[in-house]
Amino acid sequence: MNAFHDRVTTRRKFLKETLFGVAFLSVSRLMPSEALLAGELSQVPKNLLFFSPREYLIFESVAERIIGLPRPGQPGVKDVGVASRADEFLAGADPEVQDQLHQLFTVFNAPFFTFLFDLRFVSFVNMSGPDKDSYILDWMTSKFGFRRTAFQALKRVSLSMFYTDSRSWKEIGYEGMFMPEDRR
Amino acid sequence: MIVRSSEINGPVRESADVCIVGSGCGGGASAKVLAEAGKKVIVVEEGGYYTSKDFDATEQTAYQHLYQQRAGQATDDLAVTVLQGRCVGGSSTVNWTTSLRTPDFVLEAWRRDYGVRGLSSKELEPYFERVERYLSIHNEPVENHNPNNRLILDGAKKLGFRASAVGRNTKDCVKAGACGLGCPYDAKQSVDITYIPDAVKKGATVFANFRANKIEVTSKTKRVSGIVFDHQTQKPKTNFIIEAPVVIVAASAINSPVLLLKSNLANSSGELGKNLTFHLTSAVLGVFDEIMYGAGGIPQSAMSDEFLNKNHDGGGFWLEAVPVYPTLAALALPGFGSIHRELLHQYPHIGATIILVKETDSNGRVTVNDHGRASISYTLRDKDLGYLKQGVAVGARVQFAAGAKRVITLHARLTEFNSPDEIDHKLAASNWGMNEIGLYSAHPLGTCRMGSDPRKSIVDDHCQTHDVKGLFVIDGSVTPTSLGVNPQVTILAIAEKSAEWIAGNFTDIKAR
Ligand SMILES: Cc1cc2nc3c(=O)[nH]c(=O)nc-3n(C[C@H](O)[C@H](O)[C@H](O)COP(=O)(O)OP(=O)(O)OC[C@H]3O[C@@H](n4cnc5c(N)ncnc54)[C@H](O)[C@@H]3O)c2cc1C
Ligand code: SF4
Repeated sequence: MNAFHDRVTTRRKFLKETLFGVAFLSVSRLMPSEALLAGELSQVPKNLLFFSPREYLIFESVAERIIGLPRPGQPGVKDVGVASRADEFLAGADPEVQDQLHQLFTVFNAPFFTFLFDLRFVSFVNMSGPDKDSYILDWMTSKFGFRRTAFQALKRVSLSMFYTDSRSWKEIGYEGMFMPEDRR
Repeated sequence: MIVRSSEINGPVRESADVCIVGSGCGGGASAKVLAEAGKKVIVVEEGGYYTSKDFDATEQTAYQHLYQQRAGQATDDLAVTVLQGRCVGGSSTVNWTTSLRTPDFVLEAWRRDYGVRGLSSKELEPYFERVERYLSIHNEPVENHNPNNRLILDGAKKLGFRASAVGRNTKDCVKAGACGLGCPYDAKQSVDITYIPDAVKKGATVFANFRANKIEVTSKTKRVSGIVFDHQTQKPKTNFIIEAPVVIVAASAINSPVLLLKSNLANSSGELGKNLTFHLTSAVLGVFDEIMYGAGGIPQSAMSDEFLNKNHDGGGFWLEAVPVYPTLAALALPGFGSIHRELLHQYPHIGATIILVKETDSNGRVTVNDHGRASISYTLRDKDLGYLKQGVAVGARVQFAAGAKRVITLHARLTEFNSPDEIDHKLAASNWGMNEIGLYSAHPLGTCRMGSDPRKSIVDDHCQTHDVKGLFVIDGSVTPTSLGVNPQVTILAIAEKSAEWIAGNFTDIKAR
């Protein structure tokens, strides 16, 4: 029997399967990352549909590392409006998925959890670029299934918001599809 | 008549001879046969109604409007992405046109292991023929294969593996490559432009953006009720009730069990929602010197079936090509960040070969979550995992034989081979747990399986539920096992046959 596949981890359960359980979610909310984000919070678009302003910044910061930094002349996360697009996209997601993503942003960013998982007592948004990458890598390759699931969720939303946008196509050499003459 | 929710201003109350939930392969084919037999048919479809004029061949539009959960549907642990359509025509509107009959050994196993009668190859032959004629199913000539499909034919031939063209349900195809995004040319003979319009011509009504939430059974009739959604905002607009003596659930292998579980019907066996098979799929991505441009040309026109049931154990795998749309490619490629972005710079040179495993020991389950939607789980067991590993190795060898310079697997950690010699030891060192290898399904089946024993199955040979007379399930959920081939022809043939039986026995069914 394949050990990983045999244990079915539902999304509902995945956060509850952390080492110490959901009780820590409330603890993590007391952490000071809010203050550290204060300056940037003012730049977050108003009227968000899904993210809180804080989640918006966390997601944008994650998406930047997952998509990879652009070379000169290539579009970046902000150019394509990845976080705003994700906000609109996730507003229409299954309510169950929405609940879990809200929880995930808290857990992923909070210094309490970065310490718990990786012995770094600093929130994700305040890590250096290379530290962010190695933190994300730890989630991707974790021996805990729920962390790999969380990585997948972040990867899917980030990449699909970037590559469904035509501004990302030139860089990879995608020329769009062949359309009927009257609609080109 | 096809009614969009924009035309609905208040609660809908209708009655019919037959109410069908879902307008994909199962629902669409049933609607046509029953409407042509003179029955008053109403189809309710939770997705919208779109035509080729709406299809702009972008992933953005297609995923948002034509796919379940905007193409983000997955098992609860996100280990397997489950692609399905959500629009008039169902998954056929977005599928890749491969059209194959059910293999004989599969039909034989259904008879032998599940007591299914009336579905031998011989008995299905007229239905297969009818579907093939109606949908213009034909093989593509050699010159029509794109490089991504040709690589399977060339690579397999060099290695001595069987490979051939596959049937496609198209007419006047201009090889635009957008089959998975809705065909902008009306060339793909999908259900939305074939069965549905023909059903409508015979008086059927299709309500789009109508999601069925419950079926109630009374002594006199059956009542399907649900919500009408605003086409633009997807917000609930009003509700509907359709009464009919015969109800056909055709909401797919994921959503049919959800509807029946919520309605507390057809589950005396306790098997409802169980036995989910995926035709579990992974891929290898070859990087070639020449331009492959896997998004263009006919997406799927060739396959290698060398390893299907090769050991006569009902299992194995199969190789096919896949359209390399940018987002699909980005999601499939391993890792993240600069490594991932650099890999995508190879995009025009990537040839993608998928490995589809016909399950033997693995299966999954659909249950209902707190929000009344599908919760999907899946357990990959040893034997099928063995076939998956073998399939990835074979796929990589085929890619090299066809000229790939390096081959990448879908492991989360970058796993690449620079020559065939590296394949075996690198694969042996790789992790194959959930979310350590990219897995997909576009062929979920089996959650309301057919069989003669009401203690082990949900429907009988005519797709009628064992528990409730006049309540049918006609879609991909009725297959007793994984098929090993792409399922649309199987589902269409079973639907035509079952709907014909309903039409022929309507008075009797209605009276019970
Ligand atoms: C990307 C992709 C590529 C594919 N390629 C191929 C291929 O090349 N060849 C092949 O043979 N097969 C292919 N398939 C699979 C094939 O299209 C499906 O197996 C087939 O369409 C399933 O038929 P169905 O009737 O079971 O369900 P579907 O065709 O999925 O139809 C079910 C319909 O029910 C609707 N529905 C669901 N719940 C409700 C509700 N509660 N109320 C109202 N409506 C509801 C859905 O919106 C949907 O439109 C592909 C599928 C996908 C997604
Ligand atoms: S390849 Fe043919 S069937 Fe597919 S989208 Fe293009 S024209 Fe339509």
